[in-house]
Amino acid sequence: MTAPAVPLRQSTRKTGRELKNGLATAFMVTSFLIALVPLVFIVYYVLQRGSSIMSWSFLTDDLPFSNRRPGGGIWPAIVGTLVITGAAAAMAVPLGVLGGIYLNEYGGRGPIARVVRFLAEVMTGVPSIVMGLFIYTIWVLPRKQDGLSGFAGALALGCLMLPIVIRTTEEILKTVPDDLREGSYALGCRKARTIRTVVVPHAAPGIVSGSLLAIARAAGETAPLLFTVGIAFSPNFNVFEGSNTALPQQIYINAGTFGGFEAAQDRAWGAALALIVIVLAFTLVARIFTALYTRRAEAT
Amino acid sequence: MKRISACLRWLVPAALIVGLVTSGAAVAGAGGAPARVGPATLNASGATFPQPYYEEVIGAFKAKESGVTINYAGGGSGKGRQDFSDQVVDFAGSDGLFKPEDTANIKGGEFLYFPTVAAPVTVSYNLKGVKGLRLSADTLAKIFQGQIKSWDDPAIKAENPRAKLLSTAITVVHRADGSGTTENFTKYLTAAAPGVWTLGSGSTVSWGSDTQAGQGNSGVGQVIKSTDGAIGYVDFADAKALKLQFASIKNQDGKYVAPSTKATSAAVSKAEVKTDLTYNPLNAAGKDAYPIAAPTWILVYKNQTDNAKGDAIKAFLNFVYGEGQKIAPSVDYAPLPKSLLDKAKAQVKQIAVA
Amino acid sequence: MTTDASSLPKSLTKGSRPPGILTDRTFRVLALIAGLAVLVILALIAIYTTREALPWFREEGFGIFTDNWDPAKNHFGALGLIYGTLLVSVIALVLAVPVSIGIALFVTEVAPRSIRRPIVYTVDLLAAIPSVVYGLWALLVLVEPLASLFESVSDATASIPILNTIFADPSSSGRSFMTAGIIVAIMITPIVTSITREVFATVPESQKEAALAVGATRWEMIRGAVFPHSRSGMVAASMIGLGRALGETIAVALIIGSSQRVTSNILGPGDTLASVIANQFGEASGTHRAALIGCGVVLFAMTIAIGMAARAVVARAERRSAGTT
Repeated sequence: MTAPAVPLRQSTRKTGRELKNGLATAFMVTSFLIALVPLVFIVYYVLQRGSSIMSWSFLTDDLPFSNRRPGGGIWPAIVGTLVITGAAAAMAVPLGVLGGIYLNEYGGRGPIARVVRFLAEVMTGVPSIVMGLFIYTIWVLPRKQDGLSGFAGALALGCLMLPIVIRTTEEILKTVPDDLREGSYALGCRKARTIRTVVVPHAAPGIVSGSLLAIARAAGETAPLLFTVGIAFSPNFNVFEGSNTALPQQIYINAGTFGGFEAAQDRAWGAALALIVIVLAFTLVARIFTALYTRRAEAT
Repeated sequence: MKRISACLRWLVPAALIVGLVTSGAAVAGAGGAPARVGPATLNASGATFPQPYYEEVIGAFKAKESGVTINYAGGGSGKGRQDFSDQVVDFAGSDGLFKPEDTANIKGGEFLYFPTVAAPVTVSYNLKGVKGLRLSADTLAKIFQGQIKSWDDPAIKAENPRAKLLSTAITVVHRADGSGTTENFTKYLTAAAPGVWTLGSGSTVSWGSDTQAGQGNSGVGQVIKSTDGAIGYVDFADAKALKLQFASIKNQDGKYVAPSTKATSAAVSKAEVKTDLTYNPLNAAGKDAYPIAAPTWILVYKNQTDNAKGDAIKAFLNFVYGEGQKIAPSVDYAPLPKSLLDKAKAQVKQIAVA
Repeated sequence: MTTDASSLPKSLTKGSRPPGILTDRTFRVLALIAGLAVLVILALIAIYTTREALPWFREEGFGIFTDNWDPAKNHFGALGLIYGTLLVSVIALVLAVPVSIGIALFVTEVAPRSIRRPIVYTVDLLAAIPSVVYGLWALLVLVEPLASLFESVSDATASIPILNTIFADPSSSGRSFMTAGIIVAIMITPIVTSITREVFATVPESQKEAALAVGATRWEMIRGAVFPHSRSGMVAASMIGLGRALGETIAVALIIGSSQRVTSNILGPGDTLASVIANQFGEASGTHRAALIGCGVVLFAMTIAIGMAARAVVARAERRSAGTT
């Protein structure tokens, strides 16, 4: 009885393939690690530098007139971010959801809907600074001294959010099963009522999730605010009157113009930490709603 | 009956005391100086050169007049003049004057130049172990034009025989934004090194291709601080705050003068002041004068359409010309000489509030 | 059995016009108006920005495409800016696309099922970080070490023919095309990964299993079953990443060095269409302002062109796969 002479996988050609396979796997794993590195670094720096300056007074004090010296807080920027992003959401979300409803429920494949869909996609590609320039030209300049305001910034952010909300709403509505709609029609409801009482409630978690993600994106935007909101050193809750400030703008100013001063660097890291917390909060809540929606979709 | 009159006997003095206390409180105001102007919010933008001073004086002014909020956005003299022309701000800071061809775009009508303070433009550099560098206008011009490329160039060595100059490459840093500091620095070079300096003067200049740019005075300071062998022009307050080294510059009398508020005052006092209160202290005569002393103004429209804002602007200017002048040296800015100060105070009255 | 009128639902017994049709029509009109809002806003943007940019086109004519951006002398040739925009985006793509494909493959083929979702979440976390925080980190943390790295690379390649022109003169402050390219690469990785992952997920299991059944290694299976199916999808993902890279403004503005010219030196300072607007618009007037708005228009046009190309690629792929399956 002879033992098998050679194990089956031992020819040189096969080890060449094994080698390639191993290299490829190594590449894939390395890619993931490469993507992790900047993420870990950024999170580490923001957490470490940001928390060293973070305190209750940092969050609630007014901005100091001098960025060069330590002291003061970022409360006006937090107020500005919440108020301006809130105003932008108040304009863009209802309009965007309605637009998404039009595209999926009424427009379908019709010519108007196709044009609107195409334009919405084009609009997502408009660089955010062009949005800011646009609002500066048609809203801020004509209003002269009353032009710079939180509302101008909200307009620019709203233009940014609108196409995103329209497209995500349309995508979600597409996944609502037609049986639900047909059942409602069969019971005698007209289209508007069906949409209002059946389709939208079913899709609600998904729509909310999409809107929250758009809001999170808008909260982090700087370029649209550069020429539209001016600057403020004390909190301005009135979005329509008076210049305002926001967390991304403060990070940009403290890092860019005043970055040579350590006090400004600390302030920038602190503001970055606050901003990331706000953005992550919205993103997390959006994810929860998405999970809710997928569970509901799987149940039906 | 007796009980009622007994109560009344306590009531009257009690009412008197309460009345006195409340009227006293009303007169004293709530824990601060009585606010006489406002409420008003003034938006402003412009020169970063005087920004450390304006920040200080705005803070002091707000403590005095709590009803007035001033938001000074900075952004450079170019931005200040542009925003002022578009009437997007209520006043602007500028280290330079409007060009004659730009005055047509000013939408608000007649305006006034209000000088506030003056300060040296430092030539700051980043070279380990080299302190107190001495430079003349010709050498400066050649460095900033890119003709002198390394620190051990014979021209620099000639003026600094005892300094340990290595062959480090020179990195020129300038402003990326439209800047009155650039304008004053290049005006100085045009006046002091006429045969050598070829780039002209203006709020932006065609710098060479291997130069670095920074946003605002402190942006330039930041680049200098983080780049070995860098040299650039930065306002005095920022250079000191960033702990940069600055050079002593040879003035018209042949002396090397280090930047200081005293040397700046010496330069400003020699300058000729025009009727619109503009003046040019660059390349001043006098052995104590710092040759790159730069002026700065606040631009205000003569006819103010908004009462509250007009009054607030006048109050702010009067504060700058009063306590503000005392604050200036403490933040490394030179106050105006008395003759100019008196003229400026008089000009405030020319602002017409509707 | 007779139906008593009173037992019928009210809605069926009211007058000749069916009830609720008014609300139905108004709702439909409202929804239509909302949809058209996009049309109106986009048209306004196009009209106003082009109108404001006209003085630039009129003054320079075709000179807008020369490499001569000189506000001091009133010259505004944007070639250097267009070049800079493309250069930064190309660097970003070269760095991001292989890494994104690697991550997408990792998630769909290699990683055990249980850690797939956490990995996806982690990569999406990169997308949630605002651009200005990337810029802050790059400016305060990355730029100085990169400056020394560039020095070493430049010294090392000083004698190699092509490389010594690309790595010729490293920016002493670290602000350069390359730095911007690296940061933008990090920023576009999540979106390219996410789309590529979805594309890979549509590969029919049958094809993958067939490949494995005949003895292919995982890599051979990927090359044989996944890539051919996903080729156009990967191209589309890259183009979408390119579109994002073109528009990146704030992070780039902080670290690119503000030098507007065409140069082969990718380690030197530069500028892009978007970041020059952020840096110079505040104090620009007259032709300068028109030129900057014009840069916005040019950038917008480039982004639309890329977007349309991406859609064309996707549409062609869908047509092709519709034919094969």
